[in-house]
Amino acid sequence: PLPLPRSFLLKSLEQVRKIQAGNSVLLEKLVSGMCCATYKLCHPEELVLLGHSLGIPQASLSRCSSQVQQLTKCLSQLHRGLFLYQGLLQALAGISPELAPTLDTLQLDVANFATTIWQQMENLGVAPTAQPTQGTMPTFTSAFQRRAGGVLATSHLQRFLETAHCALNHLVQP
Amino acid sequence: ESCGHIRLSVPIVHLGDPVMASCTISPNCSKLDQEPQILWRLEDGPNQPGDRQRRLPDGTQESIITLPHVNHTKTFVFCLVPWGNSFQVLDQAELQAGYPPASPSNLSCLMYLTTNRLVCQWEPGPETHLPTNFTLKSFRSRADCQYQEDSILDCVPEDRQNTCSIARKHLSLYQNMVIWVQAENTLGISESPKLCLDPMDVVKLEPPVLQALDVSHDLVPRQPGCLWLSWKPWEPGRFMQQECELRYQPQLRGANWTLESHLPSSEDQFKLCGLHRAPVYTLQIRCIRSLLPGLWSSWSPALQLRPT
Repeated sequence: PLPLPRSFLLKSLEQVRKIQAGNSVLLEKLVSGMCCATYKLCHPEELVLLGHSLGIPQASLSRCSSQVQQLTKCLSQLHRGLFLYQGLLQALAGISPELAPTLDTLQLDVANFATTIWQQMENLGVAPTAQPTQGTMPTFTSAFQRRAGGVLATSHLQRFLETAHCALNHLVQP
Repeated sequence: ESCGHIRLSVPIVHLGDPVMASCTISPNCSKLDQEPQILWRLEDGPNQPGDRQRRLPDGTQESIITLPHVNHTKTFVFCLVPWGNSFQVLDQAELQAGYPPASPSNLSCLMYLTTNRLVCQWEPGPETHLPTNFTLKSFRSRADCQYQEDSILDCVPEDRQNTCSIARKHLSLYQNMVIWVQAENTLGISESPKLCLDPMDVVKLEPPVLQALDVSHDLVPRQPGCLWLSWKPWEPGRFMQQECELRYQPQLRGANWTLESHLPSSEDQFKLCGLHRAPVYTLQIRCIRSLLPGLWSSWSPALQLRPT
């Protein structure tokens, strides 16, 4: 298996926890603080259909299941997913002035984590020759769509991070 | 129509170095004699003639003086001519002297999780006596900081501050960056030694909140000389895996601290026994990032407790 430095795994785990902490703050503010309290939009599970119609993408980490056999594919999926969520969070810009600081920091943290993964892939010589290019991001034509998109994107990101944490945790066990 | 004009060979000079000044009187300065003797005065010193005075082809009178050692950081230089039984000042120039900046030293940085800013401070070095600009410069790098990736915006400290803080959007967390201080004035430029750091390795951690636990003795048998404690990690740093150490001492003159190391960063029930030497004990806790580079937090505020 590919030699992954322990410091890389430990830092990556810490980055995941940092992003999870920021993302749950954003999700909390979005769902209960804003959507529910102000706009009576209190059940994210009711937004699945809207998510499809808005084209809110979800990143897969299928290669990072608990038995991480194809490590290169897992790292590459992890990077693509982070890159996707970086774009999604960018598309949410302007969602509300109160959320902007949390959203900006979260986006920077996701971008920095993507850089950590990419540089490790380069160190291992398994990085593609060119950085990925961002696919088309959903466009929100109303404040409601942006709020709903925000709830969906952050929920997807939280699940993505949980899978990433599991995989990395599995890798770091001596 | 101004009659006289001073020119300095250099307006700012190294303290102790010489400087040459010239004063010229234009021929069409009608109020003066044809060839007035040009005199010089430094600050409120005596009037003195220049080293030499000559008439230029165009009729201009020029006097030149060399000041061998400029020993004051600010000197006003006057050019005068006799006028009846007194003198007239034709021009004044300000001569500044000082030193080029020494290399700033003791550069250190801390990352604040609450403001998401990297704050660096340094020692500016000896007084230069001249307006000196300090700039915190940095660029992103890789593991061993051997080569430069993209530059980071220069951080210009507020006036006379020897500290500067870089905002989160300019930082790439978990990546190494090279950072140093540049000092510049008219006499030269100098740089501090370069630091190679990952902002997350210099996080300023805050200690947990240490609390006494009220244990009901019908559940837990009373044991003399014991204390029950709990602590929670500092919230902004919760994502960082940490280990902590607890220190305690009896409230006795000259008592030493006893240390309990390698404790978790969060503890709901911690029993500390063997506390028989005094009625009251002082306790503090601090933490550090574990498994990765980090800095100790400060000690928590002291807690005074009475063992059972």
